[in-house]
Amino acid sequence: MAQTNLEKQLNILDYALSSLWRRRMKSLSVLLVFASVIFLLASFQMVTQALSDKAKQVLAYTPEITLQKMSAGRQEAIPLAYKDKLAGIFGIRRVVPRIWGYYFDEVLLANYTVMGMNVDEMPESARLDTALASGRMPTPDEQGRVVIGHSVKKALDLEGRNTFSFFRPNLSLKAFTVSGEFSQGTDILTNDLIIMNLADARDLYAIPAGMVTDLCVYVANPKEIDTIARKISEALPGVRVLTRPQIQKTYQVVFGWRSGFGSICLLTALAAFVILAWDKASGLSPEERREIAILKVLGWETSDILAVRFWESVIVSGLACVVGMTAAYIHVVYFAASLFRPVLMGWSVLRPDLHLLPRMAAGDILLILAFTVIPYLAATVIPAWRSATVPADSALGG
Amino acid sequence: MFLNPWSLALSLCSLVVLVLGAVAGKTAVRVLRFWEPGSDSNRQIRLENEIWLSSTLVAYGLGFQIITLILFVLAADQFCQVIVGAMCATGALLANPYGMPALLVKLFGVFFYGFWILLHQLDIRSEHYPLVRIKYLALLLLLPMLVLDVTLQTLYIAGIKPDIITSCCAVVFSDSTGGGTNLMIGYSQQSLLIAFIGSIVGLAAVGWGLLRRWRPWLAGFYAAGWFWFFGLSLVVITTVISSYVYAMPYHKCPFCILKPEYHYFGFALYGALIPAAFFGASAAVAGLVRGKVGLTEVVDGYQRLAVKLSLALLVFFSGLSFYHYLKYLISGGEG
Amino acid sequence: MLIELSGVSKIYNQGRANEVRALTDIDLGVEQGSMVCLKGPSGSGKSTLLAIIGCIFPPTSGKAAIADRQLARLPDRFLTLHRRETIGFIFQRFNVLPELTVLDNITLPLLPLGVPPKERKLRAQELLKRFGISHRAQFPAGQISGGELQRVAIARALINNQPIILADEPTAHLDTTLSREFMEIMQQLKAAGKTIIIASHDPLVFEHPAIDRTVTVKDGRIHVP
Repeated sequence: MAQTNLEKQLNILDYALSSLWRRRMKSLSVLLVFASVIFLLASFQMVTQALSDKAKQVLAYTPEITLQKMSAGRQEAIPLAYKDKLAGIFGIRRVVPRIWGYYFDEVLLANYTVMGMNVDEMPESARLDTALASGRMPTPDEQGRVVIGHSVKKALDLEGRNTFSFFRPNLSLKAFTVSGEFSQGTDILTNDLIIMNLADARDLYAIPAGMVTDLCVYVANPKEIDTIARKISEALPGVRVLTRPQIQKTYQVVFGWRSGFGSICLLTALAAFVILAWDKASGLSPEERREIAILKVLGWETSDILAVRFWESVIVSGLACVVGMTAAYIHVVYFAASLFRPVLMGWSVLRPDLHLLPRMAAGDILLILAFTVIPYLAATVIPAWRSATVPADSALGG
Repeated sequence: MFLNPWSLALSLCSLVVLVLGAVAGKTAVRVLRFWEPGSDSNRQIRLENEIWLSSTLVAYGLGFQIITLILFVLAADQFCQVIVGAMCATGALLANPYGMPALLVKLFGVFFYGFWILLHQLDIRSEHYPLVRIKYLALLLLLPMLVLDVTLQTLYIAGIKPDIITSCCAVVFSDSTGGGTNLMIGYSQQSLLIAFIGSIVGLAAVGWGLLRRWRPWLAGFYAAGWFWFFGLSLVVITTVISSYVYAMPYHKCPFCILKPEYHYFGFALYGALIPAAFFGASAAVAGLVRGKVGLTEVVDGYQRLAVKLSLALLVFFSGLSFYHYLKYLISGGEG
Repeated sequence: MLIELSGVSKIYNQGRANEVRALTDIDLGVEQGSMVCLKGPSGSGKSTLLAIIGCIFPPTSGKAAIADRQLARLPDRFLTLHRRETIGFIFQRFNVLPELTVLDNITLPLLPLGVPPKERKLRAQELLKRFGISHRAQFPAGQISGGELQRVAIARALINNQPIILADEPTAHLDTTLSREFMEIMQQLKAAGKTIIIASHDPLVFEHPAIDRTVTVKDGRIHVP
């Protein structure tokens, strides 16, 4: 019994395949449109997924708590002396002063991230030494030594020489010597990064002595982050206290929101496709009517015809998924989502030569299936039933 | 939080299921009003055709329901990343009072669709279609369930506020004494395991007894046993089995085992348990309609098949349940 | 009696403005192994009668028993299940699916029965050989000659070894030679024990010596001259 049923389903599947093949122009057109809809949705999902992964990677290097001084609602330099006020709070492992800023190169029209700090002061886990491909980190007493990321090297055209100069705010030049390079493996973090010691950074940005842009607080036990953050904000009113989990959630919400919004836009495409699918499935040509009537006279049940239609839909959507998702993966990985570039450029995280590597878990595939295959199956079920109920006697006579 | 791909996918699927359910419901009303067995009128011919529409819609509904059930758990797992304090799906589902009820209604839906398809399959085996009325009355119950499902799910999604602090599973299911959020407090692992093993042995014995000689009261007992075992298994999976899968004594969560990190172990586990409980209970459900014209033989055949299937799945499920536990006992937690 | 109709009536669109009474009070018995011709002009109810015998729809009233099974009050599904076990159909113009191969056309009735591909092919080849069209097996049915088409249609009606063969105006679009050939094959099938019912108003059919009985249908009733 079960054996026959399986054989029957196989036979019907076989027939569905040949039926699709016989109407290959129609099937192919539906398949192509469906695949493009899946391609758009999957690309979008993969891009946001990859970006949010990258953001997570970046966040892994950020300190548990970051302190910034706010004035008139904007960030300004924070005095180093604040460090002493934190001494009494239990659970703080280390406080590292940092100057974090951007340097816009007006000649090359490039933007670099400049980080000035005392590398030795960082706790082991957050040390950037491990990311070095060659050379070493600048020490606090060396002057004008920097470690640069991959694309900085390329932008400054530092092949064959290792010195360059930046302008201070008063337009005097400050010279730097490259003492090390980051490896490409940590590109997301170090791609546009220039590391120097605190004194050099202060000199470059003309920040008064005893001031930095922010203080990084490393805590001993991550479970205490919230408690310590609260204590800090009590001890230092007027200081913005950013915790890593907070930043992480914010990123997640933003990414979720962005991709949700994108999905809504793409749903329009999906809706258009579903209408097309309904239309294609419900237009029953005289040949198809005749075919179904013949099959029914020959002993096919209504449910057998329904099964043929079901398998046709499954084959079309399965193929469309494979084609659409593969194309999306190629698009995102090898073409860096170039179709979405104009939309995504507003995303400050995305730098021009960013490599995206989406990871598709079974859940993500299921998500895309839910977006595409379920509406398609639902749109074709009623037309399928209509065609399956063509009466057998219409094959007789005339 | 609707602007999230997972929420959107869930809402879209619910909408689709609701539309299909409404069409099936319309058929149900027409069949209940106008069904005239043996009549040759055009309307009766149409109704006979519509039976295929409604059964196909319910079959699709079952498929979609299973997908949304999985999607819902996975979505909760995604939501936990934006809910401060939630570390996995449990925390996200407990973030507001609608999460768990929505999940339970979805789970119930899978069984409901399953039983309906069973009724349909039995019905179309008799040329009198003796279950038409029962079947379509039951189908009418589907609509309120779908509405409830969609409402709970929508309330849940709407209630997810990315900044509410919720408990994560480490708090909810751990043995810690603090707070009243502990779902599974008060059961000792030892007695749970004894009850679990006892139930497996009991079910196997009753099933075997049924296969040797069919007794209706025993079938009812078997079905009740399966409902009990289903609930018990969920508790045991949460409190005992899961932590052996995670190899972490304080990680007790019934959802994380569904993740790729644990080789989708949960899918195999639930994929055995849910159909096993369905088949176990369905033998008794089928027994209820055994007296209808032309169904006696069909029902008898199905019941034996269902008991056999449930027993086979029970063996598979038990093997899966104890796999990590035994591995732990043998390797001493070293592998 | 293999086919037994008593008091069979068929009314289309009952209770509506476009109600049509297609058959009235038909009594007909056909014994196993006999060949009967249903005669009558188009619109006489001949096709309706054929459809009832062919288990395509049940009668509105009256009793119809085909191969020991009552058709009245039988839902569509069970008519189909009964039909595929008992009735082999030969359509007017033969109704093949022109894009399918000859082999696939012949095996169409076997697909929902769950017959595996190998056995399907074997059974079809046997029939193709019997009708001398083995060389056409892989041809699309739309590309073979009328005579071959006719044999394909007959092979399809025999593939599940059904006891009853129904033919609906089989010779209406054939020339005399092919019509004669068709009747010859029918005669052979009759000799092999099949019960054959042919609806036709072609003298080549109803005057054929193998026909045991000719039933004339007129205005929905059996006409006794």
